[in-house]
Amino acid sequence: MRCEDLDELIEALADGEPVTPDAQAHVAGCASCQARVELARAVDRLLLAREVPAPPEAFTAQVMRRVQQERWRVEQFVDAGFNVAITAGFLVALSGVVGLLWSFGWFSVDVGTVATAVTTFAPWTRELASQAQTLIIGVALLSSALALWWWVEGETV
Amino acid sequence: MDAASEHRLLERCREGDEQAFRELVERYKRLVFALVARSITDRGRAEEVAQDVFVRVYRGLPSFRGESRISTWIYRIVVNVLIAERRQPVTEPLEGTGEVPREFGAADRQFDEMTLRDRMEKALQRLPTNYQVLVNGHYLKGMQYEELAAALNLPLGTVKTHLHRAKRQLRHLLETEYR
Repeated sequence: MRCEDLDELIEALADGEPVTPDAQAHVAGCASCQARVELARAVDRLLLAREVPAPPEAFTAQVMRRVQQERWRVEQFVDAGFNVAITAGFLVALSGVVGLLWSFGWFSVDVGTVATAVTTFAPWTRELASQAQTLIIGVALLSSALALWWWVEGETV
Repeated sequence: MDAASEHRLLERCREGDEQAFRELVERYKRLVFALVARSITDRGRAEEVAQDVFVRVYRGLPSFRGESRISTWIYRIVVNVLIAERRQPVTEPLEGTGEVPREFGAADRQFDEMTLRDRMEKALQRLPTNYQVLVNGHYLKGMQYEELAAALNLPLGTVKTHLHRAKRQLRHLLETEYR
């Protein structure tokens, strides 16, 4: 038996496991293989004696904090998705109602009156006034969305 | 911990019982931290990675069917997290270097244990992650062959063989690159 052939048995020999008489005979007469077995035993001893690293005192608290962050993130994501869906739906419905009222002529804003009211402030208000209808509708939609958001948040707390 | 109490703890965790998850962390933190800290030498990073393991456990709770033991499942997560953490490619093939080890002389045998320990720690970092965790897990004394076998999804005999191979590769590294 050659040293190379014995290489696979070194750990078994170090652990005291049974090996073939050939292998035993080789080790008995080979200083190199004896050194390998000795090294394997030393490695085994050192592995057993290795210090077991202990977690820090605050480890559990740190994990719980991260888990809470994780939970919060998931809840935020679900909340945000829900709010966006609800708001979008509501805005679409509201736009439809406003459009309907507009088409029947039941809802309009007198641009001239608004313009007269704002001319005293500054020249740029005239530009603003021409967009008054759009702005009013926008503010109404935004207020509705915010009110809905507030209501949904209030329900989930 | 018996199977029934393990199941109860899992159910409580799944129901969102924070105290139950805290118990789970308390129960397994030593094992997880020891396995991680033995593979990652930077203590701060090891703490972060060990926390990551538990965050993954938390995320995985709804899909964990309880077919294996919690420790087995957690061990598998540790291995996956460590593999992901270890970005550098493994330079050593599983079956060893293929080089004929140099012979050890009398002087080598007289290396004191401190030196050998230092060399061994460096060599351990060079082992493939699976081997590294296998060796670390086995020598923590808490990890039985059976648990290792279940965690690695390997037959018991194969685990023993792999452990021998891991130690052989470690010895080869010590004989060649970390003399």
